[in-house]
Amino acid sequence: MRAAALWLVALVIFGVIASGCIGGEETKTSSAEVQLTGDFTKDAVEIGKILEQNGVKEVKFSAWGSGDPNSVMRVYGIVEAARRINKIWADNGINVKIVITDTHYVASFQDAYKEYLSKQPLGQAGDFFVNSYAFLPTLADEGYILDITDYAKAYQSVIDDFYPSLIEASKYNGKLYGLPQDTEARPLYIRKDVAAKIGFDLNGLDEKVKNGEFTWSDIYYWAKKAKDEGAAEWGLIHRKGSAHPDLIQFIFAFGGRLYDPNTGKLVVDVPAVYKWLYVEWKFARDGLLPEDIMSWDWAKQIHPTVVEGRTLFDIGGTWYWTEWQTKQYYAKGGTPRGLKPEEVKEWFYYTLFPAGEKGEKPVTLSQPFVWMINSKAGQLNPKYDELKDVYHKLAFLMLIKASDPDINAIHSVISAHLPVRKGAAKLIKDEKWLNDLKALNLDLDPAVKDNIKDIVQATVNPINAEFLANVSYMLEYTHLAPAHPKYPALADIFKEAVDKVLRGEMNPDEAVNYIIQKVNADPELKDAVEIQGEIPKDWKFPQG
Amino acid sequence: MRGKVRDLSFFLSPMIIMVFLFYLIPLVMTVYISMTRMRNWNVDRYLTEFVGLYNYDRLFYMFQHDPTFKAVVLTTLVFVGITLMINVFGGLALALATFFINEKSASSYRLLWLLPRMSPIAVYSLVWYYFFHGSEIGTLNSVLMHLGLISEPIPWGQVIPWGAWSIIIFVNGLVGVSFGMIVFTSALNQIPRELVVAARVDGASSWQISRRILIPMIKWHLLYVLTWQFLSLLTTYPHLFLLVQWDLVNRDYGTTLALYVFNTAFGRGEQDQGLAAAAAVILSIIGIIGGFVTLKVLKFERMMRRPRGDF
Repeated sequence: MRAAALWLVALVIFGVIASGCIGGEETKTSSAEVQLTGDFTKDAVEIGKILEQNGVKEVKFSAWGSGDPNSVMRVYGIVEAARRINKIWADNGINVKIVITDTHYVASFQDAYKEYLSKQPLGQAGDFFVNSYAFLPTLADEGYILDITDYAKAYQSVIDDFYPSLIEASKYNGKLYGLPQDTEARPLYIRKDVAAKIGFDLNGLDEKVKNGEFTWSDIYYWAKKAKDEGAAEWGLIHRKGSAHPDLIQFIFAFGGRLYDPNTGKLVVDVPAVYKWLYVEWKFARDGLLPEDIMSWDWAKQIHPTVVEGRTLFDIGGTWYWTEWQTKQYYAKGGTPRGLKPEEVKEWFYYTLFPAGEKGEKPVTLSQPFVWMINSKAGQLNPKYDELKDVYHKLAFLMLIKASDPDINAIHSVISAHLPVRKGAAKLIKDEKWLNDLKALNLDLDPAVKDNIKDIVQATVNPINAEFLANVSYMLEYTHLAPAHPKYPALADIFKEAVDKVLRGEMNPDEAVNYIIQKVNADPELKDAVEIQGEIPKDWKFPQG
Repeated sequence: MRGKVRDLSFFLSPMIIMVFLFYLIPLVMTVYISMTRMRNWNVDRYLTEFVGLYNYDRLFYMFQHDPTFKAVVLTTLVFVGITLMINVFGGLALALATFFINEKSASSYRLLWLLPRMSPIAVYSLVWYYFFHGSEIGTLNSVLMHLGLISEPIPWGQVIPWGAWSIIIFVNGLVGVSFGMIVFTSALNQIPRELVVAARVDGASSWQISRRILIPMIKWHLLYVLTWQFLSLLTTYPHLFLLVQWDLVNRDYGTTLALYVFNTAFGRGEQDQGLAAAAAVILSIIGIIGGFVTLKVLKFERMMRRPRGDF
C-alpha cells in the first residue's frame, strides 16, 4: 500500500512537472530564412513562395487594438494590409492567403495592455498590438514584442517618411520595436459663445499663446469672469481618472521635466509639480473647476458639460473634435445627439496649452500609438518552428503595408488624430481624395468599408480636414511623457495628489510632500526617481 | 488494519489528489513566487530569479512609510469586522423574522434578499455606482436635493474614511447577508415546532422564543457562518474592485488587502506578481490565524465530537 501511495505521489509530481515543461522547450532554429530587399512586391512574393513550397495555404494572424470609438482603423488597417498582400500573391499566382482571425478592439488602452501582458506568455495575445508607446519599454524589456531594427533597415525610405520624433518614440534602448500608427495634440478648447458673453476677444489669441504672453494666470482671470458673470457654470473642465497624459502638460508648461536622460531616471520636478497642483487647487477652491472632476463620468458629465457650453475652457485632445460629432453628448432641447461639424467649428476655438507663467513656453503632449508585433507572431500557423523567420518578416511587411499613406490618412480624418507620415499629411489636404473617402470610393476591403462607413459619414468633411491641418503645427511644441517602465506608477501618484488638492483634502504643499513620501515608500520606485528642487517660497497665482 | 487503510485510501484518494493539486501546490507555488522577482507574467525569465525575503522586506517598508498601505490595512480591519457582523447578525435577524410569518410571504421576502447574490457582479455594482454617485446624476443625491434636504450633491464615496467604508460595507453586506439567512432558515426549520408552540402556550414572546430556544439551538450554524464569512470577506474583492475602478469610492479607503493583492498582480502599470504573492501569503497567514482563533474561541471541536450512541 505504501508503495502504491508513493507511486501515486510520484505520478502527480511528474504530471505537474511535465505540464510545466510543455511549451517551455527551446524552439528549434528556423530552417527557412528570407532576406528583405526593400522592394515590397518582391519581398512579399518571395515570402509567399516559401510558404507555398512548405505547403502553407493559409496564414492566420490576429490584430488587437484599443482607443476612442472612431479609431477602429487601428485594427482594420491590418485587415486592409492583409488584403493588399493577398492581392500581390494572387497577381503572382501564389496560392497562399492571409486571414485575420480576430480583430479585438476595446475602449480602454490600459485594459488592453493589461490583457496583452497576461496573455502574451500563454501565446494567446494578438499577433499585432496597437497601443501607447508608453508601454513599449516594458513589452520590449520582457521580450514580448519583436525587435524590427534589422527588418526596417531594408525599408529605410518608408521609415524616413515618418516624423523622426515618432520613430524615436517607437524605440527602446536604441532598437526599433514598432511603427508609429498615429499621434495627437492636446489643445485647449475655448467656447466662443461663452467668451463673447464676457468680452473675451479670441482674435489673435493663438499667437499670444505661442509667444507665451497668454498664460495660465489669464486663463484663471477669464474663467473667473465667466463664472462670476454667470456666463458659464464652470471656468475649466479637464479629464477624469488619470493625470497621464493631459494634466502632465502642466509640468512642461511650468518649465519642468519628467525625465533625466543623463541618469535614465524619472524626475519629480518639485517647483513645476507644486505650481501645477497650486493651479488645480486654486481653480477648485474658487469653484471654477469641479472638486470631484477626477471621478466624473465621461459620457454623462464631462463631454456634455463641454458640448453644451457649460464651461469656458476645456483641456482635451484633438480626437474630441470628431468624437463630439459621432457620440450623443449634446442633450440640450431633448434627445441627445452628436454635434454637426458646423457647430463644432462655430462653438470651439482651440490653441496650444498655454505657458504656466511668463517666461515659460506653451506646450502640447503627444502619446503616439505604435503598431507592435508579438514576438510569437504567427505561432498558430503550420511549421512555425521552421518558418518562424518567414512569419515574422511577413508580419513586418504587413506593418509596412498598414502604414500606407492612404490607410494612415483615413484613420487621421475619421478619428481626428494627426498623421504620422508626410505622405498621409499630404493626402488629407487633397480635396478629391477626401470626396472619394466620403463616398467610400476607395480600394478597400469590403469588411473595412462596412465597419467604418458610419464613422466616415459623420466625420469626413472639409471642416474636419481643415481642423487637422490647423492643429498640425502643435507637434512642433510637443512633449512626450517618458517611456520608462516605472512611469505609470509615478503618474498614478500624481493623479492621487491632483485628486486630493481638488477635493481640498490637502493644500499644494502637503500634496507635494505626499508625492515625495509615496515615491520614497516603495524602494524600487525610489531607485528609479529623482526628486529635484524645492517648493518655491512666496510663489503667487494668478500673477500680473 | 490493512483493510481499513485500503478502504480509506480508496475513498479519500480523489479528495487527497484534489487537495494536493488545487490547494497544496498553489500554496507552495505562491510562497515560492513571493521569493522571486516574478513580474509581468514573465515566468520563463523570473521564476528562477530567487530573491529570498526581498518582497517581504519591501512590503514591510511600504507598510511603514506608505500612507496608502496603512489605509489599506485599516480598511481591511474595518471592512471585515463590520461586514462580518452584518452578514452574521443580519442573516440571523432575517431568518428569525421570516420564521414567525407565514411561509408564502417568508419565501417571497427571502427571495428579495437573494437578488443581490443572483445579479451579475458588474450589473449589481453599476446599480450602486449610479445610486451613490457623488454628483447630481447620483440617485441618492438627486432624491435628497429634490426633497430639499441638501443643496449640493455629496460625494459619498469620497468622504474619508467613513463615507468610502460605508459604501463598500453596504454593498458587500447586502450580498453576504443572504448566505447567513439561508443557513439559519434551514437550521430553524429543523427545530421541532412543538417547542415553539409550547413556549407560545406558556406566553413567551417572539423575542423570548428566539433568545431562549431558537438561537441556542442553532449556535453551531452561527459558528459555521461566522467562520465561513470571515474567511470569505478576507479574500473577497470583485465588488470593491469595480467600485474603486469606477472612482465611486476613494481608492485608499476602498481597497482591502485582497484587492491590493489583485491590483498588484494584475494592475495597470507594472504587474508585480512577486510582491502580490508576498502580500497573499501574509493574507493567508492572517486568514489561518483568524480562522483558528474563531474556532478555538467558539469551541468548534465540541461540534466535531463523535456522536454518542452505538458506533
